Amino acid sequence: MPVLTLQRSYKYIMYATKQPSLRIKQADLKCKSGCGFYGNADWEGYCSQCYRNHMDVERQKKSHNSQMPDQSRAQMSGFTKFEEKKRQQTDKKNKYLKSLPVFRKSSNVKDSGRPEKYIDIMRQANPDANKLMVEFITQYSQYGDIVKKDFFKCSQAFSNKVINELEVKPIEDLAETAQNYYNLYQNRVNSNSIYEDVPSEIREKLVEFFEKYTMIILYSFLFCPPTTNDEEKDLAIQNRIRKLSWVNAHHLDCCISETSIEVRDLVYTAINDLLGMDSMKAPLEKLACVVKCCRSVVEVLQHCQGGPVSADEFLPALIFVVLKANPARLKSNILYVTRFCKDSRLMQGEAGYYFTNLCCAVSFIENLTAESLNNMPEQEFEAYMSGELTCVSAWESALVACEGMHQLCEHLAFLKELSERTQIVQNTTQSLRDDMQKLKEGICDSVESVLERTPLIIKPRINPLTLTKEQLFTQTTQYGPQIETTNEVNTCTDTDIGQNYYLQNLSLTQINALDSTKNKLQLDITPCITLPEISKALNSNDFLSSSSAVDNKSIESITPDDNSYLGLSKVNYDIDFSDLSTENSVAEDLTPEKRKSPTPSFVIGDPFSPIGGSCPIAQTPLVPSSVFPQIESKNDGFVLPFLDDTEENVEDSLLDKVEVAPSASLPAPLVPTSSEYSGFSKQGSRIPNIPCSTGDFSSLNFAGNSNM
Amino acid sequence: MSAGPYNYSYIFKYIIIGDMGVGKSCLLHQFTEKKFMADCPHTIGVEFGTRIIEVSGQKIKLQIWDTAGQERFRAVTRSYYRGAAGALMVYDITRRSTYNHLSSWLTDTRNLTNPSTVIFLIGNKCDLEGQRDVTYEEASKFAEENGLMFVEASAKTGDNVEEAFLETAKKIYQSIQDGRLDLNAAESGVQHKPSQPGRNPLSNDQQANKDNCAC
Repeated sequence: MPVLTLQRSYKYIMYATKQPSLRIKQADLKCKSGCGFYGNADWEGYCSQCYRNHMDVERQKKSHNSQMPDQSRAQMSGFTKFEEKKRQQTDKKNKYLKSLPVFRKSSNVKDSGRPEKYIDIMRQANPDANKLMVEFITQYSQYGDIVKKDFFKCSQAFSNKVINELEVKPIEDLAETAQNYYNLYQNRVNSNSIYEDVPSEIREKLVEFFEKYTMIILYSFLFCPPTTNDEEKDLAIQNRIRKLSWVNAHHLDCCISETSIEVRDLVYTAINDLLGMDSMKAPLEKLACVVKCCRSVVEVLQHCQGGPVSADEFLPALIFVVLKANPARLKSNILYVTRFCKDSRLMQGEAGYYFTNLCCAVSFIENLTAESLNNMPEQEFEAYMSGELTCVSAWESALVACEGMHQLCEHLAFLKELSERTQIVQNTTQSLRDDMQKLKEGICDSVESVLERTPLIIKPRINPLTLTKEQLFTQTTQYGPQIETTNEVNTCTDTDIGQNYYLQNLSLTQINALDSTKNKLQLDITPCITLPEISKALNSNDFLSSSSAVDNKSIESITPDDNSYLGLSKVNYDIDFSDLSTENSVAEDLTPEKRKSPTPSFVIGDPFSPIGGSCPIAQTPLVPSSVFPQIESKNDGFVLPFLDDTEENVEDSLLDKVEVAPSASLPAPLVPTSSEYSGFSKQGSRIPNIPCSTGDFSSLNFAGNSNM
Repeated sequence: MSAGPYNYSYIFKYIIIGDMGVGKSCLLHQFTEKKFMADCPHTIGVEFGTRIIEVSGQKIKLQIWDTAGQERFRAVTRSYYRGAAGALMVYDITRRSTYNHLSSWLTDTRNLTNPSTVIFLIGNKCDLEGQRDVTYEEASKFAEENGLMFVEASAKTGDNVEEAFLETAKKIYQSIQDGRLDLNAAESGVQHKPSQPGRNPLSNDQQANKDNCAC
């Protein structure tokens, strides 16, 4: 019974071929024959014992029925398969082995595949075996020739037996034969007197060496033998993995970060180790590759999650690596190791553990469904598998992402540089600001020091204020003519506060005073105008016309051409009227709106300045005279219509442009018109006929209308 | 690989099974390194561990295989069970779902191991008493009904971890002594040390006696 158990045992590893139902049913596992042991699909549902009995029966039947044993059938199909395998082998070599760090020349040692020739070829043309022989001699010759002889005798016996049975027995039987011989030799080493002197560690090594040596000799016969469908399985799993190329670490709930360069290097190392398995011959060596690969995987995981790794994370990562590696002849390799590696090695120890994991990974890939990939929707899974959906595989996208990361890094570096430069700019700005602050303080200090030295500057401001209010008129009377001239300058320069202030006060605050005076003026003036001598008026007119273009109307009205008292009286009357209306705002007339009406009054007032002597009030001539220059300038501005249009606060601009504006030219065109003048009343209707239609005339027109 | 000096008489293979995240690896690590896993971040993989213990004066090497607990790997992880002498079935006392899955884990274990395999139930994370979701009594009853050994342990503090592994080993050793466990069967999960090959020379031929697996 123990024998049967054992025979069955080492197959388990491979035959988890059922669909991954979540629960394993007892019935699924049992042998078809009902013997109570577990069966599996590869044995047609039998357990190993029943399968073998079954096969024996079949074989006997066949040999009875036809004299052709199935040996020949195997041989025939074997040849074609050999050719196919050879092709595939070389293809894969070209594809993979170049990149392998552990490439070992596994030349197509003995592909001639004729049992009769096997032994000869085995002897002569296996460089690996020869190399091992040399190695054995150098390592173990110290234990005497007898050990060496026995070793080669045993290995020879083993290989001969296997080769003899190669075409006769199924591969499973050969595997058992191999296991038997391993154990035979081990027992021999441990019990036979030949090996008495050999220490126990060396004995163990000898056993290992026996396995290695014999398997290297027999590799070409036992690896992917033509009697099996291993090769079809290889192709199937290869296609399967190709189809699954879109599966990424995320699908497997695996924490491999595919974008990290270091991780990718480690994953590539693991992949290389796994690919290296195919180039090894002895099961022991293949196992070593698996262990190496798995250690790399562990390292990857450790790198990714920064801590210890458990099997929960290990298996998905290994599956990922297998998917990305798509190792050549994966299935053949696994089957070969399963069959011909010493049984105990696969069940125990680190190598066994990792190999078990690899088998699990392969089994998972074979039976992978939508359900096993994070419960991916069935349709999506089908779409991926059929190639409808060709998402960029994670691995490729990782490369793209790496490129992106690379650019990102470059940009970050650039930004860093920029920020550094900005920092420099900010620093210099700060220093500049400090300098400015210092400069400002320095200036303030110096200003203060200057102010301290000359503290009286402020006082003069206050004194003139009081003075001007009280002595405003006295000043003006005394310096009347002078003010006329200085005002222009002063208003522009704005320095002499006293006089300027006087003007402002005059316009704004002294209105009441002016009102009173003007009211007096009016009272005084009206009689003056109604009763004037014509000669005086004429004189004054002469003076006005010659001095400046005061007001066309007034000029015209007073022109000597009319020579009618009526006209004069009318004019005078108008003047009085306008005077009354605008008397309040002497200064307001500075604004263009107010120019219309007030001007005549001052023009009229003006003629009285020479009459000042005759006029009982001494102050009256002064007010108009002081304002006169402004009026004059206004009129100049008046001539230019655009000034009215553009400037609202004409005061400053007008004053500025006093000098610019040509004033002398105005009277000339007006003189001819005055000759046509037929009367003031007609003027309004006539004005449009005047060729030079300045704004002044329109205003006059308006004034005339208002007067009418 | 039983190479090297044989300072032990037997090798027992254990597997640790249970849902993902119940602390299988931590238990293994606590047992082999006597440290909580999170406390030693530089530890390499702990999915495979060994430790030599002593039972009844016999030195025994324990080889412990950690397994992936994800549901979707259940179907393919059958090969883990092969040749296990002991199975530590772990659940998390703070997560009821891990306890509820025990019966399916038990079914797998029973189906895929030989009858003499010792199954030990461990309720892990017993240091998190405040978050307990499964009572001791309940689990104890479950263990009794199914003929399992049971203990609540904490991989973090190390409570009962040693005991769980040792008790399992004792039980296995007891089975050997009683003859219930056939040492020569590869599936027993027990290897005898090769210096005592004991029985049988080879009985040649196809009746190849690998029962002499005194390897």
